[in-house]
Amino acid sequence: MAPDPRRLLALLLHLLVLRPFLHLVFGLNVRGRENLPTRGPCILAANHNSHLDILTIYGALPIRLVMAAHVVAAYDYFARHRLLFATVDFLFKPVWVDRNCRGGDTLDMMNGYLEAGESIIIFPEGTRGEAGQIGNFHCGVGRLAADHPEVPLLPVYLRGTERALPRKSSLPLPIWQHISIGPPQRLDAGVRDTTEALRESILALERSEIASRHQRRPDRRRTFVVAVLGIDGSGKSTLSRRLSLDLSQAGRTCLIGDSLELFADGDPCAAQPLLKEKLRRWVSAQAKDAKSLARYKIPKLTELLLRDALLGETKRWYGSDLIFMDGSPILNMTAWSILYRPEMMSADFCARAMAILAGRGSAKDPLFSEFPELKVMKRLGLTRLAMPDAVIFLDIPAAVSMNRIRNRGEKMQVHETEEKLGRLREAYLLVVKATAEKMDLPTFILDGDRDLESIATEARRAVEGARPESGGNGE
Amino acid sequence: MPIDLSQPNWELLVPPLLLLLVGLVWIAASLSRGRFTLPGHLGYFWVFLLICVITDFFSFTPAVWLMALVSFRALREYFSLVDLRLEDRWGVLGAYLSIPFMIYLIQIDWYGFFIVSIPVYVFIVIPFLVTLADSQSQGSLLSIGAIDFGIFFFVFCLGHIAYLAFFSTWLVLLFLLGVVGCNAANAITARRGRMPGFVLSCLICLALTLGLRSWTLVPTGAAVFLGFLIPVLVQMGNHTVDALGRDLGISAADLEPGRGHVLFSLKAYLFAAPIVFHYLRWVMKFGELIHRHGT
Repeated sequence: MAPDPRRLLALLLHLLVLRPFLHLVFGLNVRGRENLPTRGPCILAANHNSHLDILTIYGALPIRLVMAAHVVAAYDYFARHRLLFATVDFLFKPVWVDRNCRGGDTLDMMNGYLEAGESIIIFPEGTRGEAGQIGNFHCGVGRLAADHPEVPLLPVYLRGTERALPRKSSLPLPIWQHISIGPPQRLDAGVRDTTEALRESILALERSEIASRHQRRPDRRRTFVVAVLGIDGSGKSTLSRRLSLDLSQAGRTCLIGDSLELFADGDPCAAQPLLKEKLRRWVSAQAKDAKSLARYKIPKLTELLLRDALLGETKRWYGSDLIFMDGSPILNMTAWSILYRPEMMSADFCARAMAILAGRGSAKDPLFSEFPELKVMKRLGLTRLAMPDAVIFLDIPAAVSMNRIRNRGEKMQVHETEEKLGRLREAYLLVVKATAEKMDLPTFILDGDRDLESIATEARRAVEGARPESGGNGE
Repeated sequence: MPIDLSQPNWELLVPPLLLLLVGLVWIAASLSRGRFTLPGHLGYFWVFLLICVITDFFSFTPAVWLMALVSFRALREYFSLVDLRLEDRWGVLGAYLSIPFMIYLIQIDWYGFFIVSIPVYVFIVIPFLVTLADSQSQGSLLSIGAIDFGIFFFVFCLGHIAYLAFFSTWLVLLFLLGVVGCNAANAITARRGRMPGFVLSCLICLALTLGLRSWTLVPTGAAVFLGFLIPVLVQMGNHTVDALGRDLGISAADLEPGRGHVLFSLKAYLFAAPIVFHYLRWVMKFGELIHRHGT
C-alpha cells in the first residue's frame, strides 16, 4: 500500500521543520526510547500540561510511528481558530473529541485505527492541568485498553513542557524538555482499574524523574481563613475571640484579622502592628460617622478594600494556622450592594458578583453596567479579592440585634435600624446560599440567638471539619 | 619579539603538536567505550577552537555568533534547572535577549559599552521585568538573583572568550590549552584530592605559557604569572559550579542532556575567561598593541 502523499508531506515537515526546531530552541531528552514497540500499534498515554506536549512526543517517536499515530485532541478548543485547526489536523491526524458532548463515535474511531494497526496518543487527563500536577484520569483510555488487550499501553511522562509553555502564559521560553517512556503495560483488568494502574505508572515515572528536580523551598504552611458573617450585634467578634482562644489551646495559632490579635497556646500575644490596619480604622471611623447611606458607601467600600489588602499582609507576616475575619470583604461587598439595589436579590446574582470581585468572572457580564462602581474597581485592578476558605454565618433576627446594639450604648450608625438590618440579614442569607451552593465553600449557618458556649462548640466543630488536614494528623 | 621565518624554528611545531596531542587523546577516549572518560570540557574546547579558526581564516562575525549559540545553550540549560515561577517569564526572556545585545557589541568592537552592557544595563532591566509581571511579590528577590546569576556567568563571562579571540587567536589558544591542561591534570589526580591536581595544573600551564611565549608575545614575567593565574581560576570555577550542581540536584556522575551537561563542561572557563582577559588587556595592554584591525 503506497503511503498517502499528504502524510509523507506531514512526515517531511515533522522531520525537517518541527524536530530541528524542537531540538534547537527547546532541547529534547528522551528516556526509554527502547520501550516503544518496533512493530504493531500501541497506545501512548501521557500527562498533559502544555501545548508543547504533543510536539515533544512526536519528537521522540520513530518515523514509523510519526506516520501512523493519531493524537486525541479537543475539537472544542482547536476549532476556535481555523488556521490552527487546519495545521493540527494536517500534522497530527488527530481523533477529534468534543468535550462538550458525550458520544461513542470517537471511541469507535480510535478502535478502528487500532484495528488498522495505527497507534493512538492520548492525554487521559483530558485537559492541561495545573503546572506540574497530574490530575485525575478519564476512563476513556482504560476502555480503549480493555477493548484491545493485545495492544501495549505505554505510560509517558513529560517534564519541562509545563515550564516552557505553561497554560497560563502565551510566551514560550527555551527550556529543556524531558520525556520518559515507560515499559509497556498489558493490563487485564476492568476499565477503572486499568485507568488507575496507568496513572500509578505515570506517577512512578514522575517520582523517578523528580529525584533531580530542584525546589526553591518547601511549601509554606497554608493559612485557613474563616469569615464570620453576621449583621451588627450578632456576636461576630465575641465568637471569633472565643474560637481563637479554644483553638489556640489545641495548639494552633489563630489570628483575629480585624483587631490583629494573635492567639498562641491559649493566650493572646503581641502582634506586630501594621500601617494598613491604622489606615483602615481611620476610614472605618469615617464610615461610622456617615449621615446617610449614600455617604456611607465610599468609606465602607474603601474600608472593605483595605481589609482585603490587610488579609494578604496578615497571611504573610503572621503565618498563623487560622485567621478569623470579621466578615469577608468580598462577601460583605456583595451583601451591601444588594442592600443598595434590592431588586437584584438572588443567589445567582451573588455568585456572579463574587466571581467578578474575585477576578474570575467574564468581562462582558451585564453586572458591569448595573454597578458602575464595579467597572471602576475593575479598571483600577481592585477585583482580585481573596475568597475565604470557610464561612460561618451567625443568624439572628434584626430585633434582637437592635436590642444588643442599644445595650452597647454606642452612637448608632446610619444603617442600624431594624428595617435596614432585616434587609441586610436577608442579603447575607442569599450570599451564604451562593457560597454554599454555587461556590462549594464550606458554609455553616448558626443560630446566633443562643448562649455563647453552644455556638462556640458548634462553630469549632464546623471549623475543625472544614480544615483539610485536620482529619489526618490530630495534633 | 616577531618570529623570524627565514630560519628553521622548532617552536613552529609546538601548537600543531599540542593540538594533535589533544585530538589523539580525544579520539582514544571516544574509542575506549567508557573505559577511559575525558572530562566533558573537551567538547567545548573544540567549539572554542572552531571560533578561533573561523576568526582567523574567515571573519569575526560568524565566530562571535557561534559564541552566542554556546551562551544560549548554557543559559537554556541553567534556566531548565533552576526553580522559576510563572511570573519570571518576561525576566527570562530578557535574559535570553541579553545574548544578542552583548554579542552585537562585541561584533562592532565597542569595548566600552560591552564591558558595562550586562553589569549595568541588563541588570537594571531584569529586576524591572521580573517585578513588572509579579502580582504576588513573593520570591521576586530570589528569582532576580537566579536570573542575574545565569546571565552574568553564562553570557557575560563566556562572552570574554569571544572578545579574546578578537584580540589575538594565539592568546585564545593559549588560554584554551591552559584550561584543558588544568582539567586533564585534575582528572588524572582526581582520587588524590585537590592539591596534587593543582600543582600539576600549575606545571602544565607554566610549560604552556613559557613554551608558547614567542607565539603569544607575552613577556616571560607575565607568562609565569599567567601560568599560576589560570589554574587558580579554573579551580575556583570548578569548585563553584560543583557546589551549585549539588544545590540544583545534578552531579557529574550522571549527567543527562539538559541536566548539567553544558554547565559542567563550561565550569572551568567561567572564572578564567574574564580575569585572563582583563589581565591581558589592562596589565599587558594587549587590546591596544595587538588589535586585529590595527595591524
